[in-house]
Amino acid sequence: MKAILLVTLERLTTAFRERVTLFWFIIFPMFLLVMLTLIFGNIGKQGQMSFSVALANMETSSGGPADFSALVESIFQEVAKPTEEEEEPLFSLAQPAAGEDKDAFIAREKEAVRLGNLSALIVIGNGFNQDLMGNITGQDSATGSQSTITVYQNQGNTGSEMATSIIAQIISRIDREILAKTGRFDEQKAVPIETDWIGSAEGEVPYVDFLLPGIILMGFFLTGLFGVPESILFARDRQILRRYWVTPLTVPRYIAGFSLGHVALCIVQFFFLYLLGRFAFGASLRFDRIEPVAFLFLSSLTFLAFGFLIASIAKTANAGMAIANILNMPMMFLGGLFFPISGLPPVLKAIVFANPLTYLAEGLRVSLGVETGALSTLLTIVVPLFWIALCLLIASRRLKWDVGR
Amino acid sequence: MMSANEGLVHVADLTKHYGEVHAVDGISFSVARASVFTLLGPNGAGKTTTLEILEGIRNPDSGKIEFFGHRISHVDRKEKARMGVLLQEGNFEPYLKVKEVLRLFASFFANPLPVEKILDMIALQEKQHAYVKTLSGGQKQRLALGAALINNPDLVFLDEPTTGLDPQARRNIWSIVTNLKTQDKGIILTTHYMEEAEALSDHVCIMDHGKIIAEGSPQELSAQLGQETIIEFTAGEATDDSISLLESGCKAARMDGDQVTVETEDLISTMEHLLAWAKKRDIELKNMVVRQPNLEDVFLSLTGRRIRD
Repeated sequence: MKAILLVTLERLTTAFRERVTLFWFIIFPMFLLVMLTLIFGNIGKQGQMSFSVALANMETSSGGPADFSALVESIFQEVAKPTEEEEEPLFSLAQPAAGEDKDAFIAREKEAVRLGNLSALIVIGNGFNQDLMGNITGQDSATGSQSTITVYQNQGNTGSEMATSIIAQIISRIDREILAKTGRFDEQKAVPIETDWIGSAEGEVPYVDFLLPGIILMGFFLTGLFGVPESILFARDRQILRRYWVTPLTVPRYIAGFSLGHVALCIVQFFFLYLLGRFAFGASLRFDRIEPVAFLFLSSLTFLAFGFLIASIAKTANAGMAIANILNMPMMFLGGLFFPISGLPPVLKAIVFANPLTYLAEGLRVSLGVETGALSTLLTIVVPLFWIALCLLIASRRLKWDVGR
Repeated sequence: MMSANEGLVHVADLTKHYGEVHAVDGISFSVARASVFTLLGPNGAGKTTTLEILEGIRNPDSGKIEFFGHRISHVDRKEKARMGVLLQEGNFEPYLKVKEVLRLFASFFANPLPVEKILDMIALQEKQHAYVKTLSGGQKQRLALGAALINNPDLVFLDEPTTGLDPQARRNIWSIVTNLKTQDKGIILTTHYMEEAEALSDHVCIMDHGKIIAEGSPQELSAQLGQETIIEFTAGEATDDSISLLESGCKAARMDGDQVTVETEDLISTMEHLLAWAKKRDIELKNMVVRQPNLEDVFLSLTGRRIRD
């Protein structure tokens, strides 16, 4: 037992004394947490999410009491007003100045959307009032088509897509209100929708609470994918391990000590990141329950197994690092560590669903109350366990613990 | 516990093949307590493979191995607990400190010696808090020796223990090895250095192509060459033809580059003949040395090659 503990200590002390290891496994995840929180931290906080939006009302006929275009316009203007708490409004709204050519305004703002300087452009078409009235009364509309509001967005721009999504929700709500007011929609008969927030007293999940579990998993991931094969292959190729094998220390006892050292390293990583998230950015996550601790442990073991797998495939430490680099990017960025992974193309979704990080990230976030979770709890446990078994099976057959054997 | 005279290791008909290559080809030997047993031979002779089998790194293809009086099929934890191994090319974690390395190795054994005692033995007290990566070659080798001795072993394997070390560091290692012998330990040594083998060994096995081609004490082996004396000198002007003429006045003469080696059983007459030969051909005899035969000469006489060829 003493030998196992000393091997554990050796793994831990050498990791912390080597500057490169220290940077990648401790400093880099902390740096990433700071940067991402500073850049994206405002998104998701109530009243502090703000998008720049332009609105052009092209309706030329005054609808009198039924001037729906003016109603829509006023609602967006209302949304763009600062709240009493002096928080930044959801939208900053740009509209054509008095006397300005509206077509020129639309052309200019379209270009701004294209360049990413504007989140979205809303255009209320001419004839909107009459079309809508026709729809409501069942008479022929002025244009013979559905009354439309066109929203121009920049596809692929996250801010633009989020703004468009919010605009669509607002318009949908306006539509529903108009139908309700004109008696075409019975609010009482509508399917009730209730919203129940989980994980934050304010009913919103701060970005740091979403991000922190992802960064912790990233730290574990890097330690397993890079640290484990690098340590094993370096020690094997330089015949450090051979010195051990001529003593009574056996390979299983060495693996036990090495694995304990890996888990201990993950624990240290966790505390550094947790304390940074909590005291620098006010993260409110509670890790003092069995479920998140179990998921952290499962994550640590999964990436340890991946490390053994890479060590068993690679012939040298350099080859091990190359393989780890190949796996690193697709696994890390298609595992939902930093951003939600909904809306990905089908090809990428295949990687997402094969990726154990997807399940570990969701399982950890659900256990912390950050997400409600699209996957079953069983799946978030079984898939990583499957990967652990597969990696260890391959490693047990292929991994050479001594040079030339 | 074994008696002091009991053999530590007996090996009989040991073989190890790698495909068509007979790395170890039916060798037999014994190692006693309080003795240095040396395997001598060129690269590829089978010394390291033999050691690796006895260290438990490789399994033999066939042969009989007895460790501490018990026959075994392969070397296991029980045998490893009583032996210490200094590998030819082993390393330590560069970011561990000297004392931490010894503490780590001590944890692998049930009854290790105190780390401080080993630090004294290998004279690394002042470096005990230094990282391995900051040590010199000689200090690293002493640390390796310390790690090999941490369990107070009965049997010590030293595979090329002084290769690459400066003369002072080499003498330090020799001193430790000599001291081990006085502690009743058996030592199995491999080396390239003739003077090392001659200075330390009680028994030498000369290996070539996986076989033992001669064995005995250094003195016994040298005596195989009879009452010979060796004369060595450099002579850039000499030719193969002129060397053949020189052979008529001695037992044998060889030329290797500009290095000439002459073997004789009658030093005075050979010297007279040599000087006349040089004067007649106007050959300058440089760096002349007259010495008794060593193990290199034994190997040369047995194989026609030098150990370091």
